[in-house]
Amino acid sequence: MHEHWNDNNFDDFPVAMAYVPWQKFERLCEDLEKGYCAGTIFPELDKPFTGRRCV
Amino acid sequence: MWSYEKRLEFPVNIKEPNAKLAQAIISQYGGPDGEMGASMRYLSQRYSMPYREVAGVLTDIGTEELAHLEMVAAIVHQLTRNLSMEEIEKCGFASYYVDHTVGVWPQAASGFPFTAAQFQVTGDPVTDLMEDLAAEQKARTTYDNILRLVKEPDVCEPIKFLRMREIVHFQRFGEALRIVQDRLDSRNFYAFNPAFDTKECCD
Amino acid sequence: MGEKEQLLRDIGIADFVLTELVLYLDTHPFDRNAQEYFNHYNRIKLQMEKEFSQKYYPLNTRYAESSKEWRWGAAPLPWEGECA
Repeated sequence: MHEHWNDNNFDDFPVAMAYVPWQKFERLCEDLEKGYCAGTIFPELDKPFTGRRCV
Repeated sequence: MWSYEKRLEFPVNIKEPNAKLAQAIISQYGGPDGEMGASMRYLSQRYSMPYREVAGVLTDIGTEELAHLEMVAAIVHQLTRNLSMEEIEKCGFASYYVDHTVGVWPQAASGFPFTAAQFQVTGDPVTDLMEDLAAEQKARTTYDNILRLVKEPDVCEPIKFLRMREIVHFQRFGEALRIVQDRLDSRNFYAFNPAFDTKECCD
Repeated sequence: MGEKEQLLRDIGIADFVLTELVLYLDTHPFDRNAQEYFNHYNRIKLQMEKEFSQKYYPLNTRYAESSKEWRWGAAPLPWEGECA
């Protein structure tokens, strides 16, 4: 297993397969209790449900 | 092997019983995209995963799903304790009550019992991980649907937590799939099953 | 929130941070930064768990040593909730 951080150039990827980009982690969320309540400490993964089209 | 912690992964403190909500949320206990199926799926898929790091992802996510199973059970339990006979009859809870009183039994919202027929172990690393990615999305949708039904913040909070975990797990399974792809020949990912076709070369 | 509830809450937060870091490190084993975060929060969590078990009740049988009676079975069950 090698380091993958830059393996996100999707133009080079073979067809007929699915790919999820590697997460690049730089920092934890500033308020860990908030992260706990949200369900993730990674700001880039924090994607709450709104039930409305406005984000 | 496992070791039990006497606390929930995220707290559940529900004040008012609500049999109607319990009947919807129980689907995430024993329903088609529930936590019981999730934990059994990942923990069972480990044995035919030929890459140690990926089997580790299945172990750790499968273990977290057991904690989620306990959280969902805690929600259902707290929504059904102290129910009066009147509420049981009024909320359409009588058909569950007659078989289980207010015990927590793994079933879907429809009443269909938990079954292993709702998940797969194909013994093919790519196929199993694709199923796991789909499973996380299906569970996320179920939590979205539950969130539309729930107004009470004491029920909402743990459901929101569980929903976000599906997104994080999706990301990890996606990365696990990238690890598997790395080990295969990208000219033809489907030439053989790395968990079964162990012979090095053609004769 | 009482002192006991606050400590249990802090253990929950620290252990959640560890859950997140474990899954991240499972797929990013070479991330030294994440490893250092893990080491840091793991120490904090172990310390808090030990303190909680000494003051209130054991959260795991590894903290159930006692010079008096067996306390594990009498400890509150996690699904009871605060309003039990």
